[in-house]
Amino acid sequence: MSETAGPGGAERTFALPDLGEGLVEATVLEWLVRAGEHIERNQPLVELETSKSAVEIPSPHSGTVARLHAAEGEVLAVGAALVTFEVEASAGIVGTVPTEERPTRRVRLRPPSE
Amino acid sequence: MDRTLLDPATGAPLLRYTVGGATAPSAPTVLLVHGFGSDFAANWVRTGWTTALEGTGRRFVGVDLPGHGRSPKPHVPSHYSPGSLGDLLARVLAESGDGPADVVAYSMGSRLAWQLAVDHPASVRRIVLGGFGPEDAFAGTDPDRLGGEDAGPFAAVFAAAAALPGADPTALAACAKGQAREPYRPVPAPADVPVLLVAGELDPIAAGAEGLAADLAGAELLRVPRRDHRTAVSAQSFKRAAVAFLDRPDRGAGTAADYTG
Repeated sequence: MSETAGPGGAERTFALPDLGEGLVEATVLEWLVRAGEHIERNQPLVELETSKSAVEIPSPHSGTVARLHAAEGEVLAVGAALVTFEVEASAGIVGTVPTEERPTRRVRLRPPSE
Repeated sequence: MDRTLLDPATGAPLLRYTVGGATAPSAPTVLLVHGFGSDFAANWVRTGWTTALEGTGRRFVGVDLPGHGRSPKPHVPSHYSPGSLGDLLARVLAESGDGPADVVAYSMGSRLAWQLAVDHPASVRRIVLGGFGPEDAFAGTDPDRLGGEDAGPFAAVFAAAAALPGADPTALAACAKGQAREPYRPVPAPADVPVLLVAGELDPIAAGAEGLAADLAGAELLRVPRRDHRTAVSAQSFKRAAVAFLDRPDRGAGTAADYTG
């Protein structure tokens, strides 16, 4: 997860996660959001196809979608940039970004039960 | 919550299933039945179905069929006949729910949901059959030569399933043989159980679904644009159509045109 300062807050780029089963790439089947749209954490983000199955990836953030890095039908390697979010920065604190949970190697495919 | 269906005579485990989603006592139950070589997690969790169903206030019961996922993997084909597996699904519903449940199924799971609705009509309210058509998926397959060359069109499906981590190829071969012994027949059809058919427009395994929908009283069909047998599973239009169909009041009328998009 990379972070850069954007005009309205921090930008965070979400890379294609390790989907398990030794898969090294996936094809974008369908984006479920468009650039400029707001998305909530855990809301469906994108459908991907691997050589073994179709999967739906939930959004890791709440924020505005700044850029989609792959077109539908495009093949992406694990670790390649998938989408960049603009996440609202904490007001009044200059030079810091909100803390995030430590990036995990695999995407969480189900929201945690609370 | 993970549960195990036990053999009432011996106490041996028969299959494992997960109950999750909405917890309100009034929440409707949806039984989720995966396809050949898949399991509950791959077919319904990773594809976003359980999240979508929970978001509509539903409870889900997701089975791992025998020979698949976390369930026992017997090597005897007779354990995998559609009739036997349909009976197991009815028992899962009897011990996990109260009253008739909705069923959403895919591929071989749809064959089993059909059998469940025929053999146990009181257990089922409405059924959604994904990736399913009237043609025999095992046609042209020599079940004794699944691992070899020229084993028929099903061989590629079998080879992919057998290569997945945790797969038991002997159990999967027994499953294919058990299924092939009781091919799908259009008659008898489920009585008084509304049916929604959904398949990718590029899905050859669902060939003939149009004819099935036309012949089956009250049945509806959605073809998902640009999707095949593997990729139709996660489609948003499939989920929306299934939820809209299950939301329909009993005896309601509607058309498949409600589901386009």
